Amino acid sequence: MNLIPLCLYAAATLAYGWHFAKREPTVGRAATTLLLFAALAHTFVIGMQTMEVRHVPFANPSRAVSTFVWLLAMAYLYLELTTDERAMGVFILPIVVGLQAIPTVYPGVENADPVLDSPWFWIHVSSLLFAYATFAIAGVLGLTYVLQFKEIKKKHLGYFYTRLPSLLTLDDMNARAIALGWVCLSVGVAAGVWWTLQARTVSPDDPNLQAMSWSDPKVFMAGLTWLVYSFAILARRTLGWTGRRAAWLAALGFAFVLLNFLPVSYFVTTSHTFD
Amino acid sequence: MRLFLLGVSHQTAPVDLREKLDFSSRDVGAAVEALASRQTAAESVVLSTCNRSEIYVAAEDSERTRVEIVDFLSSYHSLPADVFVPHLFARDDSAVVQHLFRVAAGLDSIVVGEPQVLGQVKQAYQVAAERHCVGPLLTKLFQSSFGVGKRVRTETTLGEGAVSIGFAAVALARKIFGRLEGRQVLVIGAGEISTLAAQHLRSQGVGEIVVTSRTMAHAQTLADTVSGRAVPWDGLAGALFSADIVITATGSQRPILTRDIVAAATGRRRPGPLFIVDLAVPRDVDAAVGEIEQVFLYNVDDLQTVVHENVSKRGNEIARAEAIVNEEVSRFTAWRRSRSVVPTVVALRQRFETIRQGEMQRLQAKLAGLSPEARERVDEVTRLMVEKLLLDPTEQLKSLPDQDTQVAYTEMVNRLFRLRAGHASETEADDTPASSNLPATRPRHQ
Repeated sequence: MNLIPLCLYAAATLAYGWHFAKREPTVGRAATTLLLFAALAHTFVIGMQTMEVRHVPFANPSRAVSTFVWLLAMAYLYLELTTDERAMGVFILPIVVGLQAIPTVYPGVENADPVLDSPWFWIHVSSLLFAYATFAIAGVLGLTYVLQFKEIKKKHLGYFYTRLPSLLTLDDMNARAIALGWVCLSVGVAAGVWWTLQARTVSPDDPNLQAMSWSDPKVFMAGLTWLVYSFAILARRTLGWTGRRAAWLAALGFAFVLLNFLPVSYFVTTSHTFD
Repeated sequence: MRLFLLGVSHQTAPVDLREKLDFSSRDVGAAVEALASRQTAAESVVLSTCNRSEIYVAAEDSERTRVEIVDFLSSYHSLPADVFVPHLFARDDSAVVQHLFRVAAGLDSIVVGEPQVLGQVKQAYQVAAERHCVGPLLTKLFQSSFGVGKRVRTETTLGEGAVSIGFAAVALARKIFGRLEGRQVLVIGAGEISTLAAQHLRSQGVGEIVVTSRTMAHAQTLADTVSGRAVPWDGLAGALFSADIVITATGSQRPILTRDIVAAATGRRRPGPLFIVDLAVPRDVDAAVGEIEQVFLYNVDDLQTVVHENVSKRGNEIARAEAIVNEEVSRFTAWRRSRSVVPTVVALRQRFETIRQGEMQRLQAKLAGLSPEARERVDEVTRLMVEKLLLDPTEQLKSLPDQDTQVAYTEMVNRLFRLRAGHASETEADDTPASSNLPATRPRHQ
């Protein structure tokens, strides 16, 4: 079922690439339209899965990835439609396609553990997924900032110079994305801690809950991610770490997010395996 | 009817003469009306920009038109003809089309690819159209030129990239800051270059402009010109602290802004980029300043390199733009050629229609016994028959490949059917017989 959104995302990626290279307005509009259709198809898929399991599907890592992709596409569409800036699409869409391939190949089965049946758990997951989507955008903004910065600083005004937005716009959008993501990350982590404490009283023998500690790689990485973004915000305010430093921090933070979201979730963690 | 163009441009006349022949500072509408009132040409448009004054006309006799236009220019600008005649250039027929299309595409501009000229061409046509000085030929010519301008702009990158130092600096500032509104500018030095740069930035809508110079009075004069604020020379460090963009162009032999001075200012200032444009030779800013993290330092040579790159990029696009122009010239020529057979086509249709009407008249008595519906049917059938018979010859005549063949064919048709279409002017006739009633001189644009 995830194949249709994947194909549409892939088509949109090609269109964004074409638009980035040739800068033809009609191709740009076509790219946005394709992405809109992809997001709609994806909404339908997630809607169907929600009706099937009676909650938004993200207890299983693959389903969570799919939901994350959907949130990322939505967040990007919001960004594009509010800023009228299409240049980011060519960087965001490959992430969307790459990640959407995972649930398409490994659909996963959503067998929600009864222990998850708590509003705190759903707040935990949805906040974190939204935070990750925002961090993905911040990471891409950081990367594009570095590309643009390099061309202007080196006085070699080439391919990216004409195509990317201004440095200050990129930096400003990056700061906002990180601030929003950090709030969601904090809420998500706090809700997770609160839910674990509550759930332990209900099911003290659950192995997942027993493994939930700082020594668990996923929890540890989440803490580290929170520290990176907290530092990014603090450094911007107090140390004047804007521009390139902030951009690298955003890219580093997103690398942590991806690491935690994919390899750690699939292979390493012992605490976050509820399917 | 022929197309004819007479004028001066930056390629044929020096600036002082162009200024004397300029229409744009006066009322172009009045000029085009004055020209039309001479009855020299059936249609006329005056295109006047800072780089050109050109008169486009559609007229029968190009030699007489030339004399008339020279006389008009002389009397309108109160200038003896021998002053400007050596600088005039003239174009005839398809060379007029080629010229206007190149102008509209920005290919004939001093700065190749500049976008303003297309708007000026549109304006020139608009002014003439409002005063009913254009007819079908110039209307088609100018409207085609708008299409050429648009095609060149969308299908090539001819208009991209700044091609002067001032524009390159502003384009860079926009790539660093996005919007320039509210950006603080510090201008160091109050000479001619600083003045030009400050005025250019002011016109781009920057925020406060602070001027400093070793001589406070000079700084004050420049500050007054650009509605800025002058600060004394020893306030330089403080002014640097709050600046986003620094323009420096002093005559100093030693660098004014060293790494230490700029680092001290940027260390204390709110975080964000600082764009320094060093227009002075020798340089005012130590090259090491460019190594500071958020400082973007461009000197005259750097900007010149950007300009050269853009110019050479435009150079690559010129061939593509010229190809578009040539394609459109061919299309326009084909359209004109198809129009030159229009009088013959119209006459041929009229001839056939006259015969048909005559036969219908002759048969009136015999058809009297028929019902009104049947008579109408007979009328319709004969009309359709005539139209169908004429369809192929009309199409064939319009699509003949060259002028000579066209002349031979129309002559043959005229003889075969005893037509007298050769006397009709192309603007007097159109595809439909009804439009052959257009006035013979000065057709009005509707």
